Amino acid sequence: MSAIEALYIFDEHNNLILSHSYLGRPPPATTLLPLYLQHPSPRPSTLYLPSISPPTLLYSLVQDNLLFLSPSSHDVEPLLVLEFLHRIAEAFEEFLGSPLLASKITANYDIVAQIVAEVADAGIVCQGEANALRDVVETGPGVLNNLLGKVGLPGGPAPGLQLQSQSGGPSLGSLQRPTLSPAQSSQGSAIPWRRSNVRHTSNELYVDIVETLSVTLAPSGRPIAAFAYGSIAFTSKVSGVPDLLLTLSTGGKNAGMGMANRGDQLRGVMERVVFHPCVRLNRWKSDGVMSFLPPDGRFALCGYEVDLLGSGTPMTVGKGSAWSHQPNLPVPASVEVTTGVGGGGNEFEVRLVQPSSGLSGGSTSVAAASLQSNLGSGGGRGSAGGDAKAPLVENLTVNVPLPAAVRNVTDLRPSKGEAHYNPADGSIEWKVPAKDFGPLGAVLRCSVQGPTTDEDGDAAVMRNGMTATTYDYTDDEPTTEQHTALTATSKSANGRHGNGAGDGVRRELMPTSATLSFSVKGWLASGLKVESLLLDTKKSRGLGAEIKPYKGVKYLTVSRGGVVVRC
Amino acid sequence: MESISRISSMLETARDLTLEAARDAGPRKSTRPLPAPQIKKLLDSRNERDVLDGLRRVIAMQYANPPQPTLTFFATVLKTLSNPFPSTRPLVYNYLIHHAEADPDTALLSINTIQKSLSDSNPRVRAMALKTMAGIKVPVISQIVSLAIKKGVSDLSPIVRKAAALACVKCVRLDPTTKPQVEEYLATLLADKQYYVAGAAVQAFMEICPERLDLIHSAYRRLCQMVVDMDEWGQLALIRLMTVYARRCFPQRSKRVKKIQTQEQKTKDFYEDIEAKDEDDEAIFEDVYVDDPDLDLLLRSIQSLLQSRNAAVIVAVARTYLYLSPTNYLHHAIGPLVALLRSPQDVQQVALYNVVQVCLHDPILFVPYLRHFLLHPSESPDVWRLKLEALTLIFPHCGSDEQELVLAELEHFSRAHDTALVRESVRAIGRCAQSPNATTSRRCLSLLLKQIHSPDQNLVGEAIEVVRHLIQRSPDDHRRTVIRLAKNLDTLTSPMARASIIWLVGEFAGADEDNNIAADVLRILVKGYADEDDEVRAQIVLLAAKVYLHYLNAKNAKQKAIGALNGSEDKHVEGNGSLIPSAEEDIEGLRENTFSNTTPNQQRESASKKAHPIELLYLHTLLLARYTPSYSIRDRARLLRGLLAVPSSTELASLLLLAPKPVPQAPSPSESRRGYALGSASLVIGSESGVSGLRGYEPIPEWVKEGREPDPKLRDDSGEAKTEYAPNKAVSAGQRLDDALKAETVTRKEKTLDDWLDEEEGETEEDGEEYEETEEEEESDEEEETDDDSD
Repeated sequence: MSAIEALYIFDEHNNLILSHSYLGRPPPATTLLPLYLQHPSPRPSTLYLPSISPPTLLYSLVQDNLLFLSPSSHDVEPLLVLEFLHRIAEAFEEFLGSPLLASKITANYDIVAQIVAEVADAGIVCQGEANALRDVVETGPGVLNNLLGKVGLPGGPAPGLQLQSQSGGPSLGSLQRPTLSPAQSSQGSAIPWRRSNVRHTSNELYVDIVETLSVTLAPSGRPIAAFAYGSIAFTSKVSGVPDLLLTLSTGGKNAGMGMANRGDQLRGVMERVVFHPCVRLNRWKSDGVMSFLPPDGRFALCGYEVDLLGSGTPMTVGKGSAWSHQPNLPVPASVEVTTGVGGGGNEFEVRLVQPSSGLSGGSTSVAAASLQSNLGSGGGRGSAGGDAKAPLVENLTVNVPLPAAVRNVTDLRPSKGEAHYNPADGSIEWKVPAKDFGPLGAVLRCSVQGPTTDEDGDAAVMRNGMTATTYDYTDDEPTTEQHTALTATSKSANGRHGNGAGDGVRRELMPTSATLSFSVKGWLASGLKVESLLLDTKKSRGLGAEIKPYKGVKYLTVSRGGVVVRC
Repeated sequence: MESISRISSMLETARDLTLEAARDAGPRKSTRPLPAPQIKKLLDSRNERDVLDGLRRVIAMQYANPPQPTLTFFATVLKTLSNPFPSTRPLVYNYLIHHAEADPDTALLSINTIQKSLSDSNPRVRAMALKTMAGIKVPVISQIVSLAIKKGVSDLSPIVRKAAALACVKCVRLDPTTKPQVEEYLATLLADKQYYVAGAAVQAFMEICPERLDLIHSAYRRLCQMVVDMDEWGQLALIRLMTVYARRCFPQRSKRVKKIQTQEQKTKDFYEDIEAKDEDDEAIFEDVYVDDPDLDLLLRSIQSLLQSRNAAVIVAVARTYLYLSPTNYLHHAIGPLVALLRSPQDVQQVALYNVVQVCLHDPILFVPYLRHFLLHPSESPDVWRLKLEALTLIFPHCGSDEQELVLAELEHFSRAHDTALVRESVRAIGRCAQSPNATTSRRCLSLLLKQIHSPDQNLVGEAIEVVRHLIQRSPDDHRRTVIRLAKNLDTLTSPMARASIIWLVGEFAGADEDNNIAADVLRILVKGYADEDDEVRAQIVLLAAKVYLHYLNAKNAKQKAIGALNGSEDKHVEGNGSLIPSAEEDIEGLRENTFSNTTPNQQRESASKKAHPIELLYLHTLLLARYTPSYSIRDRARLLRGLLAVPSSTELASLLLLAPKPVPQAPSPSESRRGYALGSASLVIGSESGVSGLRGYEPIPEWVKEGREPDPKLRDDSGEAKTEYAPNKAVSAGQRLDDALKAETVTRKEKTLDDWLDEEEGETEEDGEEYEETEEEEESDEEEETDDDSD
């Protein structure tokens, strides 16, 4: 049994906006929702509700403030249901536009109902390709113009692209609605993921590569883990059935590592790759290129990850000598936190720095090299501002979560930008405008107030006793000490106790980590770049004569709280 | 893989999104509700646009919250089926399926029209009609549906055949008596050459009759070869089916070697095995753990699915590898499994349960991915709990650098502000400390011992608890640790921690007689007895009893020795000179003179003659216990007094108090989930789902016994169908499609893969392997002619 039983969608106020039951008599939404909400947040995506009859598994997904629930009375593979929910959301976005809004769903029940019924037939998931759904879901002949404006538009252009490209405006002229005229769809689409009869007046191809950073820095500043999770979003607006060949290059990385061909180099950088089903896997395996027949419109072509530390880096914790040979981590900004400073030891300092090995680094830097070539290439959309200087680090935000014991934060002193303390979630947010962030960095200093005011006198002594980071616990303490211990434990230990408590209280008020968010346009942490995007005119079909599609490339590296500094 | 909307949201700035949202939020149409007669009028119109508008309103009413009554439109809606407009049909069908159950009689009126559509020239119309007809929940029509499926099964268009496969499920649900017929249809569909038909057929098969494995034999090889091209849902069903099939049909050969990880097996050439098998059936499999060639075909063909964007598929492949061939294939699945950690949080969490499950099975494989399991502050409790567990599972298998990293990580989080996180980290350190390596173990212990100075009571209690477990595991190595801990009794405030330490001191009271601190610890503790927690008091009383018992045992042994030697030595046992008895009583004196703690000096002199300080200490403790408010402590004290009443006979007391304690086990938290199959919901829910899992949970079946498996010849395909796919298996869907497209220009008629392949011959890169495969298949061709009727 792997059937979906029902699908419920709630809006942000937890009002039911869609309920569709596939199979049997699933428990109603009104029973499930309270049980779901009863569970403390963050709620797991798979919940077991033994209290209702029959005992039910409840799978959930929250996307764009909408809550998707799917109950199941049987042991269904959780990932199957979750993927199904994701596909439903994706299909809604394909038809209704992104972001999903409750009002869009309620205004288009006819479309929504068809999508929901097509994706799973009587509970059996059978069609997950949003684009192919266009062949079967009837959106109606142009009843309303503004409906066509967004719904009927094949692969509605993403707004960002529209703003960026001056490619003859939105392709409203190409509104060839997929109707069920027998001549067109009698043989069906030969490609399971692409709708049939695609026509566009302007032919455009866009490659957007987005990398999300996940970097963990030890208190010493040494990276202990650094990954870039990349996704390639592809937008294809080309008539007929185009056959594309996307070639990436590593920007010189791994070149000297004895990797014979470029494919091996590329696979050395892009690890654990997953592909949209359209990509021909054997071409990737043999040549390291992506050859594919794209779906129409926008889709996620590929996901990969890059180990920015390189797999050969020893995994040591930053201690002592480790400082000296810190690997060049391609991160445009970094944070250092010093706790327990100031007179009372109740202050801490956050320092935002621009590592020398970052964007503006020397000639050896992979990042800089790749950047140069990116901007130099003619295909670039020039989204990085068009100048050859280091790209701006935008939306630079440092978030310092504070422990619950902190009662107030006084004296926030940022050298640049703005900082404020948010008592609701107990964190300090510090925003630095892109223009203020330079090689000199920026400093934020603040002091915290705890519930108790403790004795300040022996702050120095405390720290000596407690924060020693040596791990050499010796089993063989001098025996003399043991003897004395019998008589003198109380005295010495009492002293230590007092210190320990005081220090502990202070430490309880200190943050243990800080996260850094930013986005950099036109630059990829991995140094990857698009070398070429070819349209194979021989293999493609239905392409107009002499079609030369407009091609665009966009790079973006973001960190959404992904750079974590421990302290 | 990240969903496209997430990627897009990163690419676009907030301003763009709001603009977009504003644009899209605009009203699509006047949603002003119309009165029912007016809707009816719209539906009756001859104008396509009006009819569609009417239908839209009806559907919207049907889905609105609260739902509005739409049953009244049934007849009117059905009437629109007679319109020639294709655009209205999906909506009518939708309405029909939704309402058929409520008004079966009216629904039956539509059957005729739908049946007519079944012979429409447009395959999509046929498919939709078949789908709708099967979806009508009126049991009377089950035979009609069955006939319609029969027709659909032999339809020329794969779209209709796929619809027929899915309709099978609905037909059986509608009327279980149609099952025998439907199974027949399924057998035909399973043999379909079109991969998406076969995929849907497998899905239907899993729903209707997963036990009819005999239907699979002949399709087995072809299905394995087609799996790459199926859609994700078909792949999922097929992998599930094949895991069961393989367990039931391929006996596990040479279990003896199974446990040993031999690398050369992996490289063993598969094709050699086939040839060997042809000559001399199973002789060569005696001593090496080799997969059946057919099993190997499955395992190889699903390997490329590890690059699927669908997390469920990746976990399903990992499951197949884990349960079918852990030595030869499992390592391929590890990287993709770890890659699931970068997926959205809901998927990530479920994926982690599966990762930990595989990790329990074979942690060594995860060592290179250690850094993926580092915690991130924004993660939910479930996620970090699982990550911590994975870290501790991998810990014993990694090098010292990695261990250092893990310990630093755990130490950092044991200082966190979240109590749950602190507790889990401390426990994780405890699990790490069970490592056989002495230095690592000591290192972990030192980490834990550092925690006892923390002002956080929770943390201290937890840490001491873990330390106690560790000490109990290897008491001999930890005598000094106990002393170290005992020193902390002066400063510790957590009752849980104090009780633990006192208990430990008591356990070690008998060790190292000449230099034991137990009596001294007792002396110090007794002074503060009144201020202690009940938990601690109970332990003090117990400690007193143990110390006294050891003292008695030693005394008795000495007396025995003296008696044996007939010596005339002093009967005094050597004691700890530093002890100053704070109280002295003899057993008789207890009752009459209970408040004599403040002993006069002369009495003390005389007492020291007859009573040893330990004895006095013990008696004093009992006295204190006697006036403790807690019943249980008073009870316990009475028991101990009775037990130790006769100083010369301590056997019973020794048996009770000094018995060796069982070593506490601290298994990995997911150990309790170990029995559940990878990828199942029961695995995620854990022990709450009961012993046999949740309803509908199916455990992986046991391997079939050697000799009881079905004849492997059953899997030989029939006729020419077999050579069709054999050389094609390395060709991706994309490539096939190219050829399909090319072919389409030439001819419009339905064509077989033969035609594709003929055209393709020149360009497909084939390596020697495939040709061998073809030869093999041809050989079996010949065999097959003789064994055709073996089923």
